[in-house]
Amino acid sequence: MSDNLYKPDLMEVLQVERQTADVKSVRVRFQDAARARDFSFRVGQFGLFSAFGAGESTFNICSSSTWKDYLEFCFRRTGRVTEALWEIESGDTIGFRGPYGNGYPMEAWEGKDLIFIGGGIAMPPIRCAVWYALENRSDYGNITVVYGARTVRDLTFARELDEWSRHERVRVVQCVDPGGETPDWKGEVGLIPSVVERARISAANAVALVIGPPIMIKFTLPVLDRMGLREEDIYTSLENRMKCGVGKCGRCNAGPVYVCKEGPVFTMRQLRSIPNDF
Amino acid sequence: MSPIISAAALRELIDVWIKSGKQVAAPVSIAGRLLYQRIDSSGQAVLDSALRPANSIKDFVFPRHERLFGYRIEGRQISLTDPKPEERDQIVIGAKPCDAHALPILDHVFAWGSNDEPYERGRRRTAIVALACTAHDDACFCTSVGSSPADETGADAMLFDLGNGSFELKAITAKGRTLFTQHAQPPATEPRPSGSAPAPRFDPAKIRAFLATQFESPFWAEGTLACLGCGACAYTCPTCHCFDIVDEGSAAEGARVRNWDSCQFPLFTAHASGHNPRSNQAQRQRQRMYHKFAIYPEKFGAILCTGCGNCARNCPAGLGVLGVLEAIDRQTIKTDERQPVQT
Amino acid sequence: MITRLRETCRRLLDQNKVQVVIGYGQRRPGAAAHPVFITRPEDVGQLTWGGNCFANLTVYLKRKEVKALGKAALVVKGCDERALVVLEKEAQVERGDLYVIGMACDGVHAPKCSACVVRTPRFADELIGEAGSAPGAASPAAPDLLDVLMAKPAAERWAFWKSEFSRCVKCYACRQVCPLCYCERCIVDKNRPVTIDTSASLKGNFAWHITRAFHLAARCVGCGECTRACPAGIPVGLLNRSLADTAKGNFGYAAGMDPAAEPVFGAWSSSDKEDFIR
Repeated sequence: MSDNLYKPDLMEVLQVERQTADVKSVRVRFQDAARARDFSFRVGQFGLFSAFGAGESTFNICSSSTWKDYLEFCFRRTGRVTEALWEIESGDTIGFRGPYGNGYPMEAWEGKDLIFIGGGIAMPPIRCAVWYALENRSDYGNITVVYGARTVRDLTFARELDEWSRHERVRVVQCVDPGGETPDWKGEVGLIPSVVERARISAANAVALVIGPPIMIKFTLPVLDRMGLREEDIYTSLENRMKCGVGKCGRCNAGPVYVCKEGPVFTMRQLRSIPNDF
Repeated sequence: MSPIISAAALRELIDVWIKSGKQVAAPVSIAGRLLYQRIDSSGQAVLDSALRPANSIKDFVFPRHERLFGYRIEGRQISLTDPKPEERDQIVIGAKPCDAHALPILDHVFAWGSNDEPYERGRRRTAIVALACTAHDDACFCTSVGSSPADETGADAMLFDLGNGSFELKAITAKGRTLFTQHAQPPATEPRPSGSAPAPRFDPAKIRAFLATQFESPFWAEGTLACLGCGACAYTCPTCHCFDIVDEGSAAEGARVRNWDSCQFPLFTAHASGHNPRSNQAQRQRQRMYHKFAIYPEKFGAILCTGCGNCARNCPAGLGVLGVLEAIDRQTIKTDERQPVQT
Repeated sequence: MITRLRETCRRLLDQNKVQVVIGYGQRRPGAAAHPVFITRPEDVGQLTWGGNCFANLTVYLKRKEVKALGKAALVVKGCDERALVVLEKEAQVERGDLYVIGMACDGVHAPKCSACVVRTPRFADELIGEAGSAPGAASPAAPDLLDVLMAKPAAERWAFWKSEFSRCVKCYACRQVCPLCYCERCIVDKNRPVTIDTSASLKGNFAWHITRAFHLAARCVGCGECTRACPAGIPVGLLNRSLADTAKGNFGYAAGMDPAAEPVFGAWSSSDKEDFIR
């Protein structure tokens, strides 16, 4: 690891999986074995992934921190860098800088019930926390996952959702928007806030991680409030345009808070004091 | 009593520095204006205590365009190369105090949590010889942000214009002393003439109070209409340091580079999804003011501004950070009696 | 003239004929004039006029923040008005949506003034003042830098521009002050593909300035704002003027002079020369 803060590690691409029409997940490992051994991260942290020649992009590390053989990230094909990443295959080389950000307070959540609520491309940052909790099952209470997308074909990590529901004290509620269901769809139909309400999840001794588009969060919060969750027990992970990832380039702040360094994970109570700047 | 140095002796010394292989930068007269530039002979340097260059010295430690590393792509193999760091000593002579003062302010963010090696290397190899001011113009406002025309912060040595072809020389740091040790001069016999300091242009407490409560104020839209969203203010500002990181090159090889960027550009915060938290100039101008006068002070204990006035002088619309500060200063915070914005 | 200007604007605002007056203001005696946006009749006292009114205010017609204020009255000098002619020709402004207040001008002490042929605006809704006599042979102009440059051999001109562009920091002040640089997304801000390096390198700077000159070919009206705005003192306007001279020589066209003239790149005629196609 050089002292050049901006120079990434070279990573070998192990596997690329197509999640939806425009979403892929990628498993990578450090080319440098010593680096791989020394590396660790907290779930909820992110990295800057390079497609050399196109640039870097910020993605959550969506694998569990307990898995030592690879890192995984997931991206939607939208811009210059993700278009370049779309072309990569197993055996290719990309770059990685990280881990950055504060991560989820998994230790503070021990002994609690975990409620994960996510929409669309928000599954990856939830997935790492779910797997972490499943890998440390006895440390956590009931796990509930409410995950939805516009249509059945937009659900990411669909196979794993089924696998999770087979674990003890894990309940997975999948939903699609009205009109997004297929004839054989067995899950819920509706927008996330109403699906959460209908799900009648017990919130006693629970924390919630809610990730998704601002409008989804806005309408889900009152539901969680009615369930009895306090603002300091509801967490989210923010996104903002990033470049350096380390608080120097001046780009990602929302008011006084630098999302890359002091986030991206915040409680709703913390978000209340952040101005409308993200 | 500090030694004095004649202008002629100073120029000789500058030529010695240049001949010995150091990089030297100074104010230079180009295209009818004064700009800090690297020089290759002392004759190019304009050491006038009454004038201030239209750019800043940050370019010498935090370049406008800097190679972070090179990459070569051969099939599936990538190899990265570190840039050959510039090792030569560098001296900036004739820096205004408001330029020198900016560097210790910038040090905070470049060392926040992790060390920005390219910046810190630039700082280590550079010595700043400041020239105290004997005059100011109507864009200067160092005194409104806690500084002064003879502020020694950030300078390794300081020159005071005695007005008679000589300067009083004060070495401030070890680096500064080393630059001038060869130079023995009789101490000053006359007191240095005092230049007038600019009168305060605004009340910093009023700015802080305004920013603390007025994030959603209509002032931001009304008071910034003149702003055209260029980067003239940010790029000539001694303390603005926002940057972009991009890859440049061919399909076979290239470099990842760091370039100056400005929060006033429309795409600065644009997400790939199309969402832009700061999609209009009012929001971008607000960010600028908060970053300089609220966020940076809160995090690092220093205002991200030295009152040099370049923003106001270079703004094609006559605004600049100073223009917005003065407009804020004219505001009263009572929401029911808010004064109309005078731009 | 100032009194008449203020009275006119007070009347326009009082009667709600316009919602904003875009004019010149002056904070302190002796200071440069700067753009003001007057929305209330009682504020017309901020308006000024004189030899320090350099800015070309037509640039504000492209700004969405200004458009949002409503119908505008715009104070123009004759040179600024040329930009209006082009903007109308390029369907960027509806002339009927604008109230143009033309100010007869005695020059603003800029080099462009010594050769000015539009001291009196020609198409204003309201014309204020009478211009002094047009500059005659009596006033010796300083040697025109463009003439001086074009008399030099190519190698010297290349060296000149290398030296000038070495100071360019890519602030885009030249673009932002130009009324005719109104693209929603400028080519230098596009990255799929990257056609102009954003870096302030010699390559990036040449690519930018040459492209901008080409995109303004036969459209630039020579208001000189780009040169005035450049914080590095680069005479960027010379490139534009050189192409304007070419447009004049080859097509007899001067942008913004004759509203009936078809723009060089906006029209085709069967009698257009084709002898350069080989």
